[in-house]
Amino acid sequence: MRNMRLMWIAWPAFLMAGVMEILVFSMLDPSDLTWFGQPLAVSRQGIYTLAFFMFWGITMASSALTTLLSISPFEVNRCPLPARERPDGCPKQESSCC
Amino acid sequence: MTQKVIPIVTQPLDEVMVSLYEAQKKIYPRSVSGFFSKWRWGMIWLTQIVFYGLPWLEWGQRQAVLFDLASRRFYLFGLVLYPQDLIYLTGILVISALSLFLFTAVAGRLWCGFSCPQTVYTEIFLWIERKIEGDRAARMRLDSLPLTSEKALKKGLKHLVWIALALWTGLTLVGYFTPIRELLLSFEQASLGPWESFWVFFYGFATYGNAGFMREQVCKYMCPYARFQSAMFDHDTLIVTYDNARGEPRGGRARAADPKSIGLGACVDCTLCVQVCPTGIDIRDGLQYECIGCGACADVCDTVMDKMGYMRGLVKFSTQNAISQKWTQHQIIKRVLRPRVLVYTTILLVLCIGLALSLEMRSPFMVDVIRDRGVMSRVVDGDKLENLYRMQIMNTTEKLQHYRISASGLNGLEIESDGDESNGLVTIGAAQSQWVTIHLQIPQESAEPGSHPIQFVVQALDSPDHVSERAIFLVPR
Ligand code: SF4
Ligand code: SF4
Repeated sequence: MRNMRLMWIAWPAFLMAGVMEILVFSMLDPSDLTWFGQPLAVSRQGIYTLAFFMFWGITMASSALTTLLSISPFEVNRCPLPARERPDGCPKQESSCC
Repeated sequence: MTQKVIPIVTQPLDEVMVSLYEAQKKIYPRSVSGFFSKWRWGMIWLTQIVFYGLPWLEWGQRQAVLFDLASRRFYLFGLVLYPQDLIYLTGILVISALSLFLFTAVAGRLWCGFSCPQTVYTEIFLWIERKIEGDRAARMRLDSLPLTSEKALKKGLKHLVWIALALWTGLTLVGYFTPIRELLLSFEQASLGPWESFWVFFYGFATYGNAGFMREQVCKYMCPYARFQSAMFDHDTLIVTYDNARGEPRGGRARAADPKSIGLGACVDCTLCVQVCPTGIDIRDGLQYECIGCGACADVCDTVMDKMGYMRGLVKFSTQNAISQKWTQHQIIKRVLRPRVLVYTTILLVLCIGLALSLEMRSPFMVDVIRDRGVMSRVVDGDKLENLYRMQIMNTTEKLQHYRISASGLNGLEIESDGDESNGLVTIGAAQSQWVTIHLQIPQESAEPGSHPIQFVVQALDSPDHVSERAIFLVPR
């Protein structure tokens, strides 16, 4: 399940990062970019690559939030231990639900 | 009024999850030969000759197809495209999507089974696996054996070949964006640039992972198309079907036995159709979303039917309507021309013609004008009012070009540019673009204060083409 979720997060984000990349760089020449007034010391290919991973990071954060919100809060906050294995004195020892 | 209460049964979450995503069983597809397998290999050859070969094709002095990211030019045979030509890319993408809809409406997952890179590379990787480790039974046995030196050798060799092919694929892909001959040279000399190497390995790794390990899981869990394809299906779409009425009840029997007299259908329950299936499903359970329509099960079942001396086509491509209404081949073909297909085809044709026309009528150069951000307007030489503009001229031909810039729209408009020969003459090299600063002057007091629309005309001197661009001339109060 964990792998599944990781894939749901990374893969659509990858596709959308690709779309962003095309849209942004069709309108913007990386060699026109400046960093606090200084031209960047990275080649165009470098900027394409770095920007792609930046886009990917952001779109992944979005997918991650979607994934998180699609899980019910009970599931997120559920104790990972089955009821019987919870330590002595645990108030949730009796309930089998969460 | 009595209300019906629907009892809600709560299910422990874990169980639901586990049954939805069973632990994956490794699938060992058995090799198959037959009509569809021939077609699939034909398509594999075709798509891969194009993919691996295209970057090596030359056009004049350059690579025929090159999306030169470093210089932001896209060469497509005779065309030179600029990033500003994104609209054509969009057009091509829309056309591809529509073609996919059309194929899907007519023949189901034709794309998936025969030309999707995922299928194609999986098939190639499987072929390598089969050559080294043997067919299904041999591979299953090998995997169940403890690690011996022979097993290690076979596995190692397989991964080595896989990695070599994956790297070559990565290199080819990057070769669409960086000239491939230089790329290969620097690869051999181990002097590949950091970004190029990164993408070669990145794509190589993706190929190795997707075709070597993920395989059918990509189709099942990662492919968005596989999820919504059913929206494009109707009852006349070609799908792989098992003829239930003919096949059941299934069961083993002697070759000489007459199935009718022992109460059996045509299916001998050999399970070969399950063994060849790349997604590991049983087509006899009906159409399932995992089925990529590759036809492997149809091929293998036909060989079984031949052996038994039964009629072919127990598992075959057919449509839902054809099965339920027992249509002939001819009737199925007639239903291809139904409204949905005609609509898709019409839109597709209109778009293709539109794209071709706009490419044909495309001017051999493009012009962008912006006002200089620094200067609104100023007085020069005591009696002239000047506005500054920056103009980008993009030469989309592969020859040196000369242009004359002129302006109109106000009385006494004079042009002064910093091009090589001033007074509006500019020379631009093949497939180059250049920014030109234009000083536009009018006699002072010759125009009302305010903004006046004007027009720039750039005339090519080596061809009859010209481009006009609108701009604004500001006269201060
Ligand atoms: S290959 Fe044909 S005969 Fe064999 S199990 Fe499948 S449907 Fe039945
Ligand atoms: S069921 Fe048949 S057509 Fe569908 S994926 Fe399996 S082998 Fe291919």
